[in-house]
Amino acid sequence: MAHAAQVGLQDATSPIMEELITFHDHALMIIFLICFLVLYALFLTLTTKLTNTNISDAQEMETVWTILPAIILVLIALPSLRILYMTDEINDPSLTIKSIGHQWYWTYEYTDYGGLIFNSYMLPPLFLEPGDLRLLDVDNRVVLPIEAPIRMMITSQDVLHSWAVPTLGLKTDAVPGRLNQTTFTATRPGVYYGQCSEICGANHSFMPIVLELIPLKIFEMGPVFTL
Amino acid sequence: MAAPPEPGEPEERKLLGFLDVENTPCARHSILYGSLGSVVAGFGHFLFTSRIRRSCDVGVGGFILVTLGCWFHCRYNYAKQRIQERIAREEIKKKILYEGTHLDPERKHNGSSSN
Repeated sequence: MAHAAQVGLQDATSPIMEELITFHDHALMIIFLICFLVLYALFLTLTTKLTNTNISDAQEMETVWTILPAIILVLIALPSLRILYMTDEINDPSLTIKSIGHQWYWTYEYTDYGGLIFNSYMLPPLFLEPGDLRLLDVDNRVVLPIEAPIRMMITSQDVLHSWAVPTLGLKTDAVPGRLNQTTFTATRPGVYYGQCSEICGANHSFMPIVLELIPLKIFEMGPVFTL
Repeated sequence: MAAPPEPGEPEERKLLGFLDVENTPCARHSILYGSLGSVVAGFGHFLFTSRIRRSCDVGVGGFILVTLGCWFHCRYNYAKQRIQERIAREEIKKKILYEGTHLDPERKHNGSSSN
């Protein structure tokens, strides 16, 4: 989860998120250099003694400031498209979970190996135990195995919601009447938090998502099915 | 990047308020080499031409080009290293999993070399 006043990305828990962090660093370096150049140009503009108001054209400069941004955009677009296509790779998921958004809770369905369906409500402040996270912890977590490709089918029963888990690099809209799909593979065990990311009413901020990722051996013993 | 800095870990230092040079791989290295390149290029130009403003322009241009060049070079090597680490991690996992079984690659290799 994020720490207080965190602005940057959370540590990656999936290969796609690692790629996204790498791309973010790459884009940020380019942005930094452009900002540096613009600040320098601003400084020159403010301190110049040249005040000729009759300049009519500057062909060379115009050529440079057309071609250079095009090159910069290509440098940003190529890694971006690479990651975009990587997210759409077909990887034969081991498990399919359905996630249904409601006002204001999530319903999860494990229908691959049985008919497990449960709701996941945010824990109200009065019900928090010491150590629980306010506005983040839920009564029933989504328990999943690590190092196995997992398919999430996401939809909504009423209004638009969005199922997001930043550390996995996931954000998928839950649209009523439509089934959206996202896949991921978690690389390390732990408890990971996300929050609804599409405005959906009064309690939009109070329907978090909590994933509990555990080793496959322990998942196979069936802790999720003892609810 | 997720947890607040622990004591002993490098503090966040953000250039222009957003580029975290301490925690972004290759950033500090690229910025330092870029600064060096900028000083060398700008000062060298000034020594030859004695033009201050133009030397500053050359310095800024040198900073951008050297930083970009170091950045791409370092990131390319970093990506190669990450891929090698991932392969090594997978091979170690496979070795632990398959050691002593018929799928053990070392057993297959020793079997074929003794034949």
